[in-house]
Amino acid sequence: MIKLEGVTKIYSTESVGLRNINLHIKAGEFVSIVGQSGTGKTTLVRLLIAEEKPTKGKIVIGDWDITKIPSGEIPYLRRQIGVIFQDFKLLPKKTVYENVSFALEVAGEKNKHIAQIVPQVLDVVGLGNKMHRYPRQLSGGEQQRVAIARSLVHRPKIIIADEPTGNLDSLNTVEIIEILKKINEFGTTVLLATHNREIVNELRRRVITLRSGEIVSDEITGKYRL
Amino acid sequence: MRAVYRVTKYALQDLGRNLGLSAMTVFILVLMLLSVNILWGVDVLTQQATSMVKEQINISLYFKAETTDENLTEIKKYLSILPEITEMFAISREEVLESFKSRHQMSTEVLSALEELEENPFGPTLVIKTREPEDYKKVLQAVDVPEYDALIETKSFEGNEEGIEKLQNITNRIERVGFGLAALFAIISFLIIFNTIRVAIYTQRIEISIKRLVGASTWFIRGPYIVEAFVFSLLSVSITFGLIYLGLKFVDPYLSIVFSNGFTLTNYYNSNIIWLVGIQFVSVLLLTFISSGLAMRKQLKV
Repeated sequence: MIKLEGVTKIYSTESVGLRNINLHIKAGEFVSIVGQSGTGKTTLVRLLIAEEKPTKGKIVIGDWDITKIPSGEIPYLRRQIGVIFQDFKLLPKKTVYENVSFALEVAGEKNKHIAQIVPQVLDVVGLGNKMHRYPRQLSGGEQQRVAIARSLVHRPKIIIADEPTGNLDSLNTVEIIEILKKINEFGTTVLLATHNREIVNELRRRVITLRSGEIVSDEITGKYRL
Repeated sequence: MRAVYRVTKYALQDLGRNLGLSAMTVFILVLMLLSVNILWGVDVLTQQATSMVKEQINISLYFKAETTDENLTEIKKYLSILPEITEMFAISREEVLESFKSRHQMSTEVLSALEELEENPFGPTLVIKTREPEDYKKVLQAVDVPEYDALIETKSFEGNEEGIEKLQNITNRIERVGFGLAALFAIISFLIIFNTIRVAIYTQRIEISIKRLVGASTWFIRGPYIVEAFVFSLLSVSITFGLIYLGLKFVDPYLSIVFSNGFTLTNYYNSNIIWLVGIQFVSVLLLTFISSGLAMRKQLKV
């Protein structure tokens, strides 16, 4: 599903994001990428959504070599991947419904289909009754659930979550992780970048540990070891 | 078609939900367009005033009494080949006499002196108008030959030569200043529009990058700004021309006093409305397109 071969990202001579990363994530896996701040987790996420290009190496998603992707094709790649960010990245001037439907509208989905699917997805994340509110009228946990709904709505095969619970309290953290687990149960590959020890230990799934931009461990049923 | 509908919908939503910013952008565009139109109006009035003064200037060649109709026809034919001359007409000896009498009808001494002469002492007069005041010199040079000199009593223009030159200098200077001001206004307008649009886009930079990360294509992100630029241009030009026509209602009565030929700015705007609205609409639209395109480049790199 996702393959990284000898991926290196160098920002400057003193700032190296990733060093010689070799990684293979299979379809349907739930993988946690752990490491302290500045170890390269976010760099990895940025490379996977083509927000940045690697200095060296090759990244393949499905049959798509995204290291050679032309800029005009990047939107198509991003429509295949659901991304959840720590700071939610919701459009503040759009309602909950519009934020979620936007992901489908840019992909050219029909209005009828959008009108059917968006309320369903919002029900899944428990926000069916708040679809006409604006992000500022929601709590942090609710905003993150909107972001999850947006990432889910076009039924992506991969969900990448970059510190999705970083701005949330423990109760909301548990809820968000439960939603991600549920998404994974339906067959979606989930890639979770986090430095939350409790989450990783609770999940008991594959754990890849990064340190100074390098993979220091990759365990099938791992724990947070830093 | 669906994409166009959605892009238009986003644009109208953005306009409505950023009402303060939209209103400010239109307000600045209106101010800029009003300044340009005021400069434009002043330029039109200057041109109108100078052409009116130029029209009133002509050469009169006063011929001696013995000048025959054949002489006059020959001179007219000779002068008609000069491209500088726009109009030429002769006043017969009888008409000159009548005009002289009516001018001096209150002066019995002049009229009795004229009667004592028993015959018409005046020759015919040839009135000549040229394209530009400086062309009069060429006409005068053309008649400055011995066979015509003997027939011409006086040339009325000679005394006005200095005044004509002054007028020419003033109009040339006004044209140069007008051009300089227009260029300055164009630069200022571009900077104002560019900064207004840049501020508008800067406030939405995070939204643009989010749209990009969600998978929106460049067209989907730029599209609403193009529609918004169209709406801004349409609104600002409409409001500006509404205000101009309102202002002209107050200005035109004063102009009709100054311009005896019936010139008014309302008539000028009415007869050039398509061109004036078109050029200003296209200019504002292009400026807003270019400004938004330049301001958005950085955000679209995500």
